[in-house]
Amino acid sequence: MGVTKLKKAELYYHKSVQEKVAEILQASGVCQLIESSGQEAPPSELEERLATSEEQLSHVRYLTRTLAGYYVDPVSSLDRVLGEKPIVSLSELEALAKQTDLSQAVDKVKERELSLNGLRMDMTQLRADEVTLLAMQAFPYPLSILTEGTQTVAGVSGTVKSDQLDSFKETLEPYDRDIELVVSQDFPKASTAQVAILYSRVIGPELLELLPRSGMTLMELSPSFKRTAKEELARVLSVQKETLTKEEQIADELRAIADEWMPTVQKLSDYWISLSNRYRAFCASDETGRTLRTLFWVPEESVASLQKEIEAVAPTTALFLSDPGPDDSPPSRLENGELIRPFNILTNLYSSPAYGQTDPTPLLAPFFFVFFGMSLGDAGYALVVGGAIALLFRKYRKIPAAVKDFILLFAFCTVSTLIYGIISGSFFGDFIDVFLKPLAPIKNLFVLVDPMKDPMQVLGISLLLGIIHLMFGLLIAAYDNIRTQNYLDALGDNISWFLLIVGLCLFGASVGGMVSEDVGLTGKIMSVIGTLLVFWYAGREKKGILSKIFSGLLALYGVTGYLGDILSYSRLLALGFGSAVIGMIINLLGGMSASIPYVGWLVAVIVIAGGHLFSILVNILGAFVHPLRLQYVEFFGKFYSGGGTPYTPLSLSREYVNIAQPAGEA
Amino acid sequence: MDLLGISLALFGAALATALAGIGSAIGIQVAGTSAAGVMTEDPDKFASCLILQALPGTQGIYGLLITFFVLNKLGLLGGGGAVAINWNQGLQIFAACMPVALVGWISAIHQGKTSAASIQMIAKKPEAMGKAIILPAMVETYAVLALLTSILMLMGVQV
Repeated sequence: MGVTKLKKAELYYHKSVQEKVAEILQASGVCQLIESSGQEAPPSELEERLATSEEQLSHVRYLTRTLAGYYVDPVSSLDRVLGEKPIVSLSELEALAKQTDLSQAVDKVKERELSLNGLRMDMTQLRADEVTLLAMQAFPYPLSILTEGTQTVAGVSGTVKSDQLDSFKETLEPYDRDIELVVSQDFPKASTAQVAILYSRVIGPELLELLPRSGMTLMELSPSFKRTAKEELARVLSVQKETLTKEEQIADELRAIADEWMPTVQKLSDYWISLSNRYRAFCASDETGRTLRTLFWVPEESVASLQKEIEAVAPTTALFLSDPGPDDSPPSRLENGELIRPFNILTNLYSSPAYGQTDPTPLLAPFFFVFFGMSLGDAGYALVVGGAIALLFRKYRKIPAAVKDFILLFAFCTVSTLIYGIISGSFFGDFIDVFLKPLAPIKNLFVLVDPMKDPMQVLGISLLLGIIHLMFGLLIAAYDNIRTQNYLDALGDNISWFLLIVGLCLFGASVGGMVSEDVGLTGKIMSVIGTLLVFWYAGREKKGILSKIFSGLLALYGVTGYLGDILSYSRLLALGFGSAVIGMIINLLGGMSASIPYVGWLVAVIVIAGGHLFSILVNILGAFVHPLRLQYVEFFGKFYSGGGTPYTPLSLSREYVNIAQPAGEA
Repeated sequence: MDLLGISLALFGAALATALAGIGSAIGIQVAGTSAAGVMTEDPDKFASCLILQALPGTQGIYGLLITFFVLNKLGLLGGGGAVAINWNQGLQIFAACMPVALVGWISAIHQGKTSAASIQMIAKKPEAMGKAIILPAMVETYAVLALLTSILMLMGVQV
């Protein structure tokens, strides 16, 4: 439990074995390399290798990205994440990388990508031409008269708003002898009319200046239009067809390239990612003559086996281990037992604890477990989610650890959901009461709380859980302060508030008749002591009695913050209620649609199954986000600040293939 | 039967779904636009973008929940015939619908904006997904409180 103890390792080795050593450290997957303290340039050989592997990696990335749309991966993305991967050894990959010239594939793909882009641009132009020509269909003469004109006549085309057409015609009346106006009204948008004007070149300049002012929007025609609009349209359409065929051809070629190359590219992807990660990390090594020095963090428990592996391949190395010093900032790896480990995700989502700080995971886990259960709160939903997870685990036997933990987190939370669903009598909402009446008495046997009938009871439970959660947070803060010998802070900042709030609650409970008067009196005394402590702590460094009193009062105002925090837990009622009512609505709709003649039962089944599935997804999101917020804002706010660096050891990339340990190869 | 009562109650119920739904639609649109922008650069972020985009959608569901609650209370579901309520009770139900209608409406829009900002955040820092989810959830708190208020008020109204 807590944060793993790390050792700072200092490894000296001869350059001749550097590849082997690097391989061992990376394959072990437990060493996090440290940036070297010296500002020297990285060893030049390593830099070269890094450059090569990054170049290859950029090829891999380009191919994966560009060919993604043309490649049907035989492995589904779910299988990719959860399933077993082919086992390949590092030396096999190395051989594959040597005989594969990725740049060849890149050139092939780039060439086709370029011509595709060209074709697509052509297509855009052709589509625009098509629209223009469609609008010009009424124009009776060859279009060359508009695009080129003759010696004496030229033309111009454009659009005029339909309602301005009459006034536009009027403006042109004085030129009646020198122009011919062709109007086609049925231009796609009825609000505009397509017009073309043929005019004598003599009045050209005058007219071209007048037209835009009188409401005509001039339109440039493509100079390639020569024949009539009809003939040109036919030409454009046939060119469009050709272009599409060419595009399809190139797409086919890309598909063929993808089929040929992608399996190799995927394997090499893992290889080159691993190698560039390796060299980037090892660039931090120091170089002295023929030896290299590499610094890294390694968990105490892995030291022995690592040392053995290194010695097996390179006997002439020296490994020095030390504990983290005051100037070091070691990364933190959360180390928790089977039951708590999945909850590590929640802590890491917020921020890893600084090395040596308390790991909050085991502290938040039980609360998250309960809160999630209350928020989703439906036994039926729990069974569906649990069943889905069980199927996943049956199908995939070797799920990668990180993904497995994430699934396990939900698996655990379905347990609390199931329990809360049973004691609150919610099974797919009120499914049992509506459709399975005879089973209702069995369900009712286990019902302890009923948010539908008595929401105040569940509200009370929610707030009580909130108080417990918050007070637990305060006690942890007090413990942390005592551990670091800040006794004053523990007393004035944590214990004082604990006494004050717990005291007030006990007092309130005795007024409400829930506990005996003696307990109420204890509560009263506790809250008075708490108040005095808060008062004293806030004013302890102030001079003068007035400013002491003032800062004390100000500190006591913080009680509203606690009130807000506690009320925040009312969301547990609201969310659980939400799932129950949405479930009820779905059953109601299902019941109503069952009365449709003939197909009613089918509609009902679809509505109920689809509706509950939707409800599960929406409510899981809510049941995850809100309890998480209660941890992060209300709970962590009391004692936890995070701020550590996560432990991200150098390891092999295993997205597509499972790179085997190289140890056996030597 | 006093029809004014049932009209007022239905008016409130309609507003609960309508306003909260409008808010959610706007909020999801705001977040969705941002998500689309991020996904043009990095299509792999679809899953996280979708989660963040969905967050402001809950208000609409809360509104729907209250509407059904009212319809159920009025006996308008299941064909049993409406219960008789006077205008006073109708007004009470109307009032009970207001928290979720108004807070749902406005908070969803603002939650959408926060989601949009969070989506931009994970575009640059995918590892900050946890924080990115919490920020919009902070806004939703008030919609949850409004939902709770509406539910408790509705339960308190005697019909």
